[in-house]
Amino acid sequence: MRRLLPLVVLALALPIRAAGDAVLHPVSQEEWSQVLASHEGDLVVVDFWATWCLPCLERFPKMVELSERYADRGVTFIAFSLDDRDDPGAMAMAGSFARKQGGRIEHYVTTEPIPDAFDQLDLLGIPAVKIYARDGTLATALDADDPNHQFTDEDVEEAIEELLGG
Amino acid sequence: MARSLRMPILLATALLLAAPLAAGEYNAVAEIGDSLPAFENLPATDGSTLSSSDLTEDVVVLVFLANHCPWVRGMDPDLVQLAGSFEGRSVRFVGVSVNHRDEDRLPAMKAHAAEHGYDFTYVYDESQELGRALGATRTPEYFVFDADRRLVYMGAIHDSPAHVTSDGSIDYTKGEPTTFYVADAIEATLAGRPVATPETRAHGCSVEYEG
Repeated sequence: MRRLLPLVVLALALPIRAAGDAVLHPVSQEEWSQVLASHEGDLVVVDFWATWCLPCLERFPKMVELSERYADRGVTFIAFSLDDRDDPGAMAMAGSFARKQGGRIEHYVTTEPIPDAFDQLDLLGIPAVKIYARDGTLATALDADDPNHQFTDEDVEEAIEELLGG
Repeated sequence: MARSLRMPILLATALLLAAPLAAGEYNAVAEIGDSLPAFENLPATDGSTLSSSDLTEDVVVLVFLANHCPWVRGMDPDLVQLAGSFEGRSVRFVGVSVNHRDEDRLPAMKAHAAEHGYDFTYVYDESQELGRALGATRTPEYFVFDADRRLVYMGAIHDSPAHVTSDGSIDYTKGEPTTFYVADAIEATLAGRPVATPETRAHGCSVEYEG
């Protein structure tokens, strides 16, 4: 049941549908908190991305690869899009990109105005990756906010291994 | 003044003085009050080069840009208008591109500057040293310096980040801007007043540093 909860939450939210919704489930900040809570017990890797973020698109295949490698080890992979839900072209592009990438990844898109979503998610920019421990607490936050310490794909992999106790 | 009131006021004053400044809240490197980092011979889109020692105006505004970024293109008209609004006054605008993507390098910068009517110096920081020294991580992101070349403002141009949408139109994410942080910072600095809001979160694409 717990694994179905995100879908139940989304069904109850009855969002206005936009192009791309078939792939990317729209969530408000409140619904996003519920989605995260529903995954307690798993390690949760959240990749924050958008079609307007070129480095995010370039990093995406690595996230797909990691999702396929770790999905059977109790790790949930989530791609959270910060695209503009009011822009049908952007949503279609995001949906198409996500579908083509594949991987064992759950997809969500914010329904909040983009800068508000950044504030609510405690993000200054993307690409960014947050990893939540099995008890739901934030274990690792990787970002590009310091010119001298921008995260790499290897940082994501190392953080997962460390949290898995590898 | 009643004795009973004096102590709370003194305490409140002491707390205000001791409170950390908001500066640095969104920047891992720079703080308000920092000096303009020295730079030399950065190539510009007009064929010239620019060094920090060339800057003689009372206020210097550095804005980090990336041609490819929809948030830069969305706020280009506001940048051009802002720079134009200070024409004839002692304010120097300098655009800085840092990324190593072809779309953000000098040849593309020249085309972008011409297409978008950049009427200010636009330089390429290929070494990325200036960007690193200022902790510039977003495009567009503004840094305003006073006559002593001390940092007095860093962050967004105004309070409604705008981006180019898929149909080419510009979308202001929070409606018409109402607070123009950079313009206010320049006016305050020219008038010798402190800047009311010295730091904001610059919303945009991330600057990509090598290595």
